[in-house]
Amino acid sequence: MPLYNFKTIKVVPTGKDFIDIVLSRTQRQTPTVVHNGWAITRIRSFYMRKVKYTQSNWHDKLSQILDDFPKVDDIHPFYADLLNVLYDKDHFKLALGQLNMARNLIGKVAQDYVRLLKYGDSLYRCKQLKRAALGRMCTIMKKQTASLAYLEQVRQHMSRLPSIDPNTRTLLVCGYPNVGKSSFMNKITRADVDVQPYAFTTKSLFIGHMDYKYLRWQVIDTPGILDRPLEERNTIEMQSVTALAHLRAAVLYIVDISEQCGYTIAQQAALFHSIKPLFASKPLLVVANKTDAASIEALSPEDQAILRELVVEAAKTSAGAGVVLDADALAREANLLKMSTLTEEGVMDVKQLACDRLLASRVEMKLQGKRVKDITNRIHVSQPQSRDGSGGKADPKSARPACIPTSVLAKRAAATSGAGPSQPAADAEETELQLQERLGGAGVYSADMRKRWQLSNPGWKYDIAPEIIEGHNIADFIDPDIEAKLADLEAEEDALAAAAAAEGIDMDLDDLTPEEMELLGQIKNRKRVLVASHRRRKSAANNHSVMPRGRDVDRIINTDQMKKSLDWMGYNTDKAVARVRSQSRTGRKRMRSEGPAGMDVDGAGDVVMEPPQKRIHSSKSRSMSRGRALSTSEPGAGKGIRDASQRNKAIKISDKAMRKRGKQARRGEGDRHIPDLKPKHLLTGKRGKGKTDRR
Amino acid sequence: MRLEKCWFCSSTVYPGHGITFVRNDATIFKFCRSKCHKNFKMKRNPRKVKWTKASRKLAGKELVKDATFDMERRRNRPEKYDREVMHKTVKAMQKIDEIRQKRADRLWEKRMANAKQQQTAADKRQLEREIHLIKAPSMEPEAVSEQEPMQEEKVVQQQDEKLAQKQKKKLRIPVERPRQKLQRMQE
Repeated sequence: MPLYNFKTIKVVPTGKDFIDIVLSRTQRQTPTVVHNGWAITRIRSFYMRKVKYTQSNWHDKLSQILDDFPKVDDIHPFYADLLNVLYDKDHFKLALGQLNMARNLIGKVAQDYVRLLKYGDSLYRCKQLKRAALGRMCTIMKKQTASLAYLEQVRQHMSRLPSIDPNTRTLLVCGYPNVGKSSFMNKITRADVDVQPYAFTTKSLFIGHMDYKYLRWQVIDTPGILDRPLEERNTIEMQSVTALAHLRAAVLYIVDISEQCGYTIAQQAALFHSIKPLFASKPLLVVANKTDAASIEALSPEDQAILRELVVEAAKTSAGAGVVLDADALAREANLLKMSTLTEEGVMDVKQLACDRLLASRVEMKLQGKRVKDITNRIHVSQPQSRDGSGGKADPKSARPACIPTSVLAKRAAATSGAGPSQPAADAEETELQLQERLGGAGVYSADMRKRWQLSNPGWKYDIAPEIIEGHNIADFIDPDIEAKLADLEAEEDALAAAAAAEGIDMDLDDLTPEEMELLGQIKNRKRVLVASHRRRKSAANNHSVMPRGRDVDRIINTDQMKKSLDWMGYNTDKAVARVRSQSRTGRKRMRSEGPAGMDVDGAGDVVMEPPQKRIHSSKSRSMSRGRALSTSEPGAGKGIRDASQRNKAIKISDKAMRKRGKQARRGEGDRHIPDLKPKHLLTGKRGKGKTDRR
Repeated sequence: MRLEKCWFCSSTVYPGHGITFVRNDATIFKFCRSKCHKNFKMKRNPRKVKWTKASRKLAGKELVKDATFDMERRRNRPEKYDREVMHKTVKAMQKIDEIRQKRADRLWEKRMANAKQQQTAADKRQLEREIHLIKAPSMEPEAVSEQEPMQEEKVVQQQDEKLAQKQKKKLRIPVERPRQKLQRMQE
């Protein structure tokens, strides 16, 4: 049934809508901003893209319509004919063909204009070309408005068609209008078909479903047919005819014997004969309906004869369908099938008979086909045979009696012949239970697990065997021919030992002398020191201020140190030390303390300080030496300082405190410092319910 | 009751010691002590952990393939007890152990001989290369005297000198290190 489901066809938009849809899609899905200043290639490709995109859009939409609608030539002839009857096949094909043509034309237009756009030399021209292209495409589609409207109507109608499966088991009800076809359908299926007391209540095919013999059957209710030439029949009747012509179904021809439908029995028989070709090779049943209103016995003899004739004809047609009627069926057939859809009398009989007929016919058809072999080849009924071929009779060869050990047989024999079962044999072994009773009862007695061990020497039973010795499991060494293997191993070992001894270990090494060892030790120590200091610096990421050499805070750069280290390395340092001494300015004095006449600086007397050129007034001498920061102005109120002298004193103290740090280049409060504004340990992780400044 | 081998370090696990882990695919892992168990839980590979037997074997520090190992293997077939066999086995075990010990000793000696050789060579190399750390390079003008120019032409002579300087620079251990560096070493 999914094969012929026309409900999934997408809506076909009207011509105007179609244009709007496609153009707005182009507008939405392609870039819209273009500038005159762009490279011409870019502008061209911008418009080419629009044209191509529109074309592909048309193409997609039209292709979808063409794919959705069924191809009249491809579908089942029943549907093909039905489409022809309902929508006019030519019209249908023409509409689809026109859309196909439009699709091709649009493709051509796009191709042409893309080619032209390649030569567009300005934005304006490109734009005009695009406009022309889209305009022509729209014009083409505008001409298809009528086809599109027609197809939309067809689609709407098709989506409401009953989904008839042409190949399944089907009962087809036909006859004159108003003979009770729809009533019959309502009785045997759950389809609720409209039943009214006037002709042509049913205007199209209706379908209902029922179950019989665990199979699903479809029942098709057809509109009534009038007895007139095919050409004069209207659309409603033609649907019936189509169904009759193309569906392989069991046909129920319903005759109204009460003639309440307005047609005489003779007329109904005439119709039967005129549409007889449609029944060919189908199981056919003629059913007399409305037996509640009139009985067959009450009919005139002529009518009865006509009815009998109908039955015979039907039987003939059925025979053509491959239904072999047995004598019983023929006898039943001889009497007309009677039913009353009002009282439901005979309805089920009719249904069952029709279904059985159809089933028999279908099986017969299948058996005649070629594909039946595929199935019959696979069927195999196996017949199990008895093992000895005798069908269960005892056979000495194949007998399989129970196996009883001889010891048991002997014991049994002894028991029966000798002492009775009530007296245990004298040599009978004591059971564990008896042992337990004898040796102290439950909880005291412990069972001897080794009692029944079967060893080559029973005396070994209670040996206490070691399991592990010197870190080895004895079980791992257990081997019946261990002695032989051990002998092999020892022989091998002797050979190896001899080989090793012969080879010897040549210790012809010239070892280091004690002096060399001493030196090596020194080297290693030295290296260790170097590595340690390197690591110390590295672990601090070399993050230490580089002190100027001249600063020498720790006073390690001096002549003594230099002499010491160079001596140790083996250098002669006499000259170097002498040179340093000669250049150092020992005994140098401050210039200020010199007398006005000047004096020799050191013993050598080669450096004579010049007296200052400018005379310094004694009254100003203090102010000259005073730093600038020392101001004589009074400090402002609110600074916590009494007067200028106190302020100057404070400045001096502060300067003095900073002097040392400044010399050592230590960090002070004036240095630039970037504080950690977002300390990670305070800002990451979950916050407890307590303080917010800790995590 | 058997002695098992530790999965990680291959040492012997005596009854009542260690821990056994059974994975959900029924693989059994026995460990001699918590150290091995922890290492296992850390997903360490015993071959890559120096102190395990596996890594020592991999490095060639232990006997790997030996006839004595073939004598000792797990037999998964129960044997009936036999006093004679037991006697023989226990005696044989001691001898096998002796042999194994001897072989292990031989291997060790061989290894040590190699190692000694290598160590001495390395020491000599170090002595030669790093002597400048403790002694100033000799100031004796041997090298200079060897480079006496033989050619008469001045230009060639100059070139030679340059060449010699170059070669000297290449070959010798740096003669004069900057004073600064010396000072730093002193620290």
